[in-house]
Amino acid sequence: MTLNLASILLDKGVVRRVYEAQLRRSQGRLPTPEQMEAVEAFAQLVQASYQLHIAEASANILQRRRPQFAKTILLHTAVLNKGRYQRRWARRLRSFVFTREDAVIVAYGSFGVGPAQSERGADYIVTTDLRMVTNFHTHFAAIKHRFDQMIVHLPAPYQQAALPQIITPHTILTRW
Amino acid sequence: MERLVVDAEGKVTLPSTLIQRRGLRPGDELTLLETGRGLLVCHEGLALLDDWWENLTEAEKIEARKEAKEYEALSEEERDAIWNAGSEELERWFDADDDDDDDEKGATIDLESSKYPVG
Repeated sequence: MTLNLASILLDKGVVRRVYEAQLRRSQGRLPTPEQMEAVEAFAQLVQASYQLHIAEASANILQRRRPQFAKTILLHTAVLNKGRYQRRWARRLRSFVFTREDAVIVAYGSFGVGPAQSERGADYIVTTDLRMVTNFHTHFAAIKHRFDQMIVHLPAPYQQAALPQIITPHTILTRW
Repeated sequence: MERLVVDAEGKVTLPSTLIQRRGLRPGDELTLLETGRGLLVCHEGLALLDDWWENLTEAEKIEARKEAKEYEALSEEERDAIWNAGSEELERWFDADDDDDDDEKGATIDLESSKYPVG
């Protein structure tokens, strides 16, 4: 991968694992392998200067935790808010057996809005939810067809919306 | 990718080119991650955690330990509840009237309300 400016959405599972790794570190313990994988992927993305995002729900949860933990992620990420047509796309994604929450996350990848209003979606979603990854890849052709059918009827700039790629922290560590 | 050889004592030596490239110094810790598909040697993650910890004030460290202790005392369900906060709001958003559709109708409405002159 050479697109250092690619935009990446870290899902709640990744955020949780990084947070829990910090908790263990504060007790002088090593993180679990799953937590370490998430932290390592996060650290590599930060170092490589990718544009990192978290969804507003993750930001809200972090903001309720003690700031010394939350700032590790909040300092390096921008919040992606729900954007126009995201709900419509999320509802359509439900027909591909995504849970509501997963459908919303996948739809963030196409219609979420970053702090600069012109910033839309994310090129990649990094998730710890293997079921979501498998589901997305299994139905990708049908999802893409449905997505194309939807955006062709939308006004600009939404016609240029794109599907994200959905990957795991492991993918970042082994294939990037 | 680098090829490493385990010696009789179970030690591996990192190639000097790799050490230079990654900016590793004596005393740096590496993480050996045992995954379903093999072993991964990582460096940045632990460094990030250590930097975070070292940059906390003593008061923050005390609070952090307290938070860790409290969190550890929670059941898995209670931890899940923390991370599922906001899910009801999400459900409501999901089920709300689809104002996204306004846009497709919007062109017609705007024209009819003479926001954009017709003809």
